[in-house]
Amino acid sequence: MIRRHAWPRLTARLRRLSGRATEPVFLFPAAALLVLGLLWWSTLNLIQVERTAAESAASLSSSELAGTYEAQVVRALREIDQTLKFVKFAHELDGNLVTLHELKARGLLPPDLLFAVSLADRNGYVTVTTRPSGVKRIFDEDVFQAQITGDTFSVGRPIQGAGGEWILHFSRRLSTRDGNFAGVVLIAVDAAYFVSGYEASKLGEQGVIGILGTDGIFRARRSGDDVSAGDSTDYATIIPDGAAETPPATVSASAWDGVRRHTSARQLYDVPLAVIVGLAEDEQLASARQSRRTYLWRAGAGTVVLILIAAALGGLSRQLTQSRKRVVDEQIAHAVRVEHLAYHDSLTGLPNRSLFSKLLSESILGARRYQRRVAVLFLDLDRFKQINDTLGHDAGDQLLQEVAVRLKGCLRDSDSVARLGGDEFVVLLPQLDEEHYVATVAQKALTAICRPYVLHGQEFRITASIGISVYPQDGADEQTLTKNADIAMYQAKEGGKNNFQFYSEKLNANSLERLNLESGLRHALERGEFDVHYQPKRDISSGRVTGVEAKLQWQHPDLGTIGSSQFGAVAEDTGLIVPIGKWLLRTVCLQHLAWRKQGLPALTMAVNLSDRQFSDEQLLPDVAEILAATGMDAGFLELEIPESLLMRNVQLSLSTLGRLREIGVRIAIADFGIGYSSLSTLRQFPLDTIKIDRSCIRDVSSVAEDKALTKAIIAMGRTLSLSVVAQGVETKEQADFLLQNWCEELQGFYARLPLSAHQIVDLVRTQPVSPVLQTGWPTGSRVGRPAEVEE
Amino acid sequence: MKKLTTLLAAYFVGIGATWAADIVVVVHSGAQAPTREQVADVYLGKSRAYTPLDQVEAAPIRAEFYRKATGRDLAQVKMVWARLVFTGKGLPPKESAGAAAVKKAVAADPKAIGYIDKADVDTSVKAALTLD
Repeated sequence: MIRRHAWPRLTARLRRLSGRATEPVFLFPAAALLVLGLLWWSTLNLIQVERTAAESAASLSSSELAGTYEAQVVRALREIDQTLKFVKFAHELDGNLVTLHELKARGLLPPDLLFAVSLADRNGYVTVTTRPSGVKRIFDEDVFQAQITGDTFSVGRPIQGAGGEWILHFSRRLSTRDGNFAGVVLIAVDAAYFVSGYEASKLGEQGVIGILGTDGIFRARRSGDDVSAGDSTDYATIIPDGAAETPPATVSASAWDGVRRHTSARQLYDVPLAVIVGLAEDEQLASARQSRRTYLWRAGAGTVVLILIAAALGGLSRQLTQSRKRVVDEQIAHAVRVEHLAYHDSLTGLPNRSLFSKLLSESILGARRYQRRVAVLFLDLDRFKQINDTLGHDAGDQLLQEVAVRLKGCLRDSDSVARLGGDEFVVLLPQLDEEHYVATVAQKALTAICRPYVLHGQEFRITASIGISVYPQDGADEQTLTKNADIAMYQAKEGGKNNFQFYSEKLNANSLERLNLESGLRHALERGEFDVHYQPKRDISSGRVTGVEAKLQWQHPDLGTIGSSQFGAVAEDTGLIVPIGKWLLRTVCLQHLAWRKQGLPALTMAVNLSDRQFSDEQLLPDVAEILAATGMDAGFLELEIPESLLMRNVQLSLSTLGRLREIGVRIAIADFGIGYSSLSTLRQFPLDTIKIDRSCIRDVSSVAEDKALTKAIIAMGRTLSLSVVAQGVETKEQADFLLQNWCEELQGFYARLPLSAHQIVDLVRTQPVSPVLQTGWPTGSRVGRPAEVEE
Repeated sequence: MKKLTTLLAAYFVGIGATWAADIVVVVHSGAQAPTREQVADVYLGKSRAYTPLDQVEAAPIRAEFYRKATGRDLAQVKMVWARLVFTGKGLPPKESAGAAAVKKAVAADPKAIGYIDKADVDTSVKAALTLD
């Protein structure tokens, strides 16, 4: 069980190790070490082999030389013995006839130069000799004594001659006819003769050849040029006991001089002598030692060379690896650069069309998988071409670069902005968590682009038009989304530029109101972006301006003037209406007073109240406070409340209205006529004015029901003694009808947009004292209460 | 008186000449004369071109001859011959007693070579070389 798991792991490990092992950094030293090891192993082996060979050669040589020497010595001894026997024979035959001189003359004796032949009598006196300068009596010599009792070939101990040279004596017995001792035949030879064959070329300077007697005394010995004889040594150590066979040479230190030699020793056959040949170990191995030194030097040199080569190769290999790595890095960097260029716009550094296409496809896939939304914003710079033509292309390029920077600043990290070319950009929002994030981004982008640019030292402004398409509702694939975003963008351009448009209307409406205005509205008040315009209210009979209705306007920095009808809902929902309303009230009161100061008659100031305002607990205290603070006469302030609002909670409305009345403020019920309030209910409310909703007025000249309704309202108003004002009179026909029905006291009308405070001033000042309607209608007499028209 | 002086002078000169006499290497009348090197080689056993003859060991001419011809003294020559004899490579020259014996031997053997005093040279042998 364990093995089965261990084996694959082990092989995997080995594979990894082997992978690492073949890297140059390991391979080179390892290979070098291997070769070095091989080199040294073989060198040492060779040295050993040579030494062994030299040793064997020395031993062999020693043996061979010993063999040769033995033969030479044996022959020499045999010749001597032969001579002795011959002389003995001749002398014993007839000593007088055959004399030594005879024999010598006939060349029967060995060379006189080297051998001295002598005859000695039984008393040891030399009788005849080939060398007269030799010894005279040999009685005491071992060679003489030995022949007295024996009859052998006698080899004597070395004797030193007159000149210090060593001499060897050999003898044979001379016998009488009856076998009695008659004397000896003697041959005297230089001991050096026996070692004259020493060749330094074969034996060296410290080799040795010699003849050792079984008595342990050297008959002759030579090393180099040194000849010696007579010294004794232990025979048994040199010649192993009873060695008849030829033993191999042994290496030992020679006893007489301590030099280590390959020594061969052979005992002679029938003579009590042994020959010794020795080759000095040092000398024999000298060449081997020389070789050893040479080999070691070579190995050492080889080692150094190898190390150098390995180091060089290692260095080269590392350089190669490094340069290869560098090349690869460069290639990678180059590929990255090329890829970057292929996918990015060179001017702005933003992704280009190809990359954007990829990003979009990817985000669509992601959105599909994770059920997310994706938004594509096509952004086109308005009037870019003009700047390009006016200031030149480099200014245009600068502008584009700045736009790119600003756009990037509006986005999150996960969002992308790309340049499609020219002055076209596209933003991709791949992770829409909330829908209104799109509008936020669009608005931010517009705002950012609207900020001034400094080109050629001057300030310029441009705007952009943005078209937005959202996945999945505006398209499920890349082409559709982009096409629809493009369409939306053109819509934005058509719509007046400097705005954004969603491809789907629904999103448009919602977002514009909900988001756009909400954010701006919060700060609109503190930024003083509100503006009050006034719609004049005229007395229909006299045509004079009797009052104004305050219309709040919002000067949106990007979107321009936004009317309260547009932002009212947002203000209501966010509760911003309350502070805005207070501000409006205050402004209106102040304006009233300002006008009066300017000499205008006291005009009724009508201000609309919204649901929230009306429901606000603080309404009454606020109104009272404003009135007090401004010093406004409450009777000239009219608060307008829609019928629908009043009817929602009658009780509350009643109490609120009552309290308002107590302050002295006038109450107007606005947008009257479209709800379902009964007359009785209406009667409860403390009102001053009824304002007929414009929808009744719009078709009053044509639609019968509206006519009837309007008539009824007017009648009711008169019954209740309320002022009746018609809202939204625009046409002559409407004015005609009203005039007709308000009895005879119809005056003229004006169809006008709300005017500014200054314009009101002008209007009031310039109205005729005896009013003539613009239409040229004659002024009639008054019947009933004066009616008013609000335009 | 004058005759006696001349005789005496001649005698002494003769004796002196004998003592300081040049040595002449002689060969058989019909044999080719050897060179100095050949003489040395033969008497040291390196060459068998001729059969060398020595004078007796005691004769001073012998030592002088070897000295002049080979540059070695008698002990060295003996060592050379000892080696040759021991290793079985040759035999030393035969000895002849006196110039007359040398001349006789040389005349009898076409290969013989010997050395005698210049004074002793005669027509029985060819005077090959003079050593001085």
